[in-house]
Amino acid sequence: MDHALANLVIDAREMEPPEPFVATMDALDAMDPSHKLLLIINREPHPLYRALQKQGYAYQAELTADYTFEILIWRKQP
Amino acid sequence: MQAHLSFDQGPPISAPLRFFITAPLFAMCAGCLLLWAGPDLFASRWTPAALALTHLITVGFMMQVMLGAMQQLLPVMAGANIRRPLLVATVVHAAITLGGVLLVLAFLTSRPLLFGCAVACLGGGVITFVGAAVQALHGVPATSPIVRGMRLGLLGLCVTVSFGLLNAVSVGWSLGLPLEQLVNVHLGWGFAAWGGAMLGAVGFVAVPMFQQTPQYPGWFGRVFAALAIAMVTVWSVAELGGMERGATALAIGMVLVAASFAWMTLTVQRQSKRPTLDAVQRLWRLAMVSALLACALWLLTRMSGTVAQWQSWPLLFGALLLFGGFMSVIVGMLYKIVPFLVWLHLQNLGHGRLMAPNVKKVLDERHINGQMRAHFVAVALLLLAVLWPRGFVYPAGLALIAANAWLLRNLLTAVAVYRTHLAKIAALDTPAG
Repeated sequence: MDHALANLVIDAREMEPPEPFVATMDALDAMDPSHKLLLIINREPHPLYRALQKQGYAYQAELTADYTFEILIWRKQP
Repeated sequence: MQAHLSFDQGPPISAPLRFFITAPLFAMCAGCLLLWAGPDLFASRWTPAALALTHLITVGFMMQVMLGAMQQLLPVMAGANIRRPLLVATVVHAAITLGGVLLVLAFLTSRPLLFGCAVACLGGGVITFVGAAVQALHGVPATSPIVRGMRLGLLGLCVTVSFGLLNAVSVGWSLGLPLEQLVNVHLGWGFAAWGGAMLGAVGFVAVPMFQQTPQYPGWFGRVFAALAIAMVTVWSVAELGGMERGATALAIGMVLVAASFAWMTLTVQRQSKRPTLDAVQRLWRLAMVSALLACALWLLTRMSGTVAQWQSWPLLFGALLLFGGFMSVIVGMLYKIVPFLVWLHLQNLGHGRLMAPNVKKVLDERHINGQMRAHFVAVALLLLAVLWPRGFVYPAGLALIAANAWLLRNLLTAVAVYRTHLAKIAALDTPAG
């Protein structure tokens, strides 16, 4: 994943649940709708995926060789 | 902020909680059984009271929590939703609770009818759960060790319960099957395949996530559960086929695979970034040390005739694994899962209008630490009771009751926090005046 695509990066690899979820949703709340957020986390965040889908966000997830998930999130255009 | 923190999420909270709250009740019954049976319980692993005690912990405590936790872990960690979760939870919980009670009564009274009823309830409950879980996991790609481990753990549970049911029928109706080999296979699948694969699946995700440790090596996560299942399968064939040397060699391999998980967990725990150990880390550490001691004891019995002839070694092995190992991990996981569930459901129900309580505030750390110490004392007294039954069986029984009453109290405190907050959310929905 090209990190330059993101306006904001959250590295959640050392966060305990539910901190990554809360930090991501708080950041999306505050972020400019045209911006993109990159979440780096070492497990697949299924509840976050459902929340994003439900609330009008698109995402693209990539699994790296060291089993880290890099998830680029942006608001869908209406 | 968190205005967006609302999402469709797995089963209602009552689905997993009923399993978690039932588990300490079974463990308290185990303590009462120790007081009732007294030192004679430890005369051998085959006494009716020892068999009843074992199943109060395996069926009553371990199975309850594992099935309850899987209901929530499947959607959260694997993205797999069980259909009609409340119905599945109600049926499975009722069946395995009644089945557990009947099985314990069957061991204590040796009545074939009770064995038959226990078999029907436990078999029905496990089949219902496994069917629902397999359906939920269908089509979920096995990208993570937890999905692979859960699938293999479910297979391990099915085989463990199948051999257990065969043993129960055989004992109840005196069918004349080779009971010792069948019991060994039941134990091998229970400890290595069900417990080991499931613990591995959860540990690979939960230890780094909750204890701020490095990840387990990737190759280890990929091969551990599959290797455990493969070895226990081949060993079962050798054991039931009477191939004594082959069975012993394979059993040594199984024990070494199990020990490797405990060793690897202690290794990553030593690299934790936490400045101080919390209760969950201490409970996991006790569990892994207990598992290593149990493995070392088992290997000693294969090397030393004196140890092998010692009547109490299987009881000490079982106490180390069940009370020191599995029970410690399960108590630790409950202290992570239950506050998270309370937060998750309240956040979802609040729809951003009312913030859920901080996940670390759901349970008071002093009560968690207090219960952890009570559990440590209970484990120590149980191990001493195996070695010196006359001196320690009654303190061990009392300590087991106390530790699990405290666990139950802590879990009910979390339920009370949930209900109080839920009432606040309901008040928001009620028009003023």
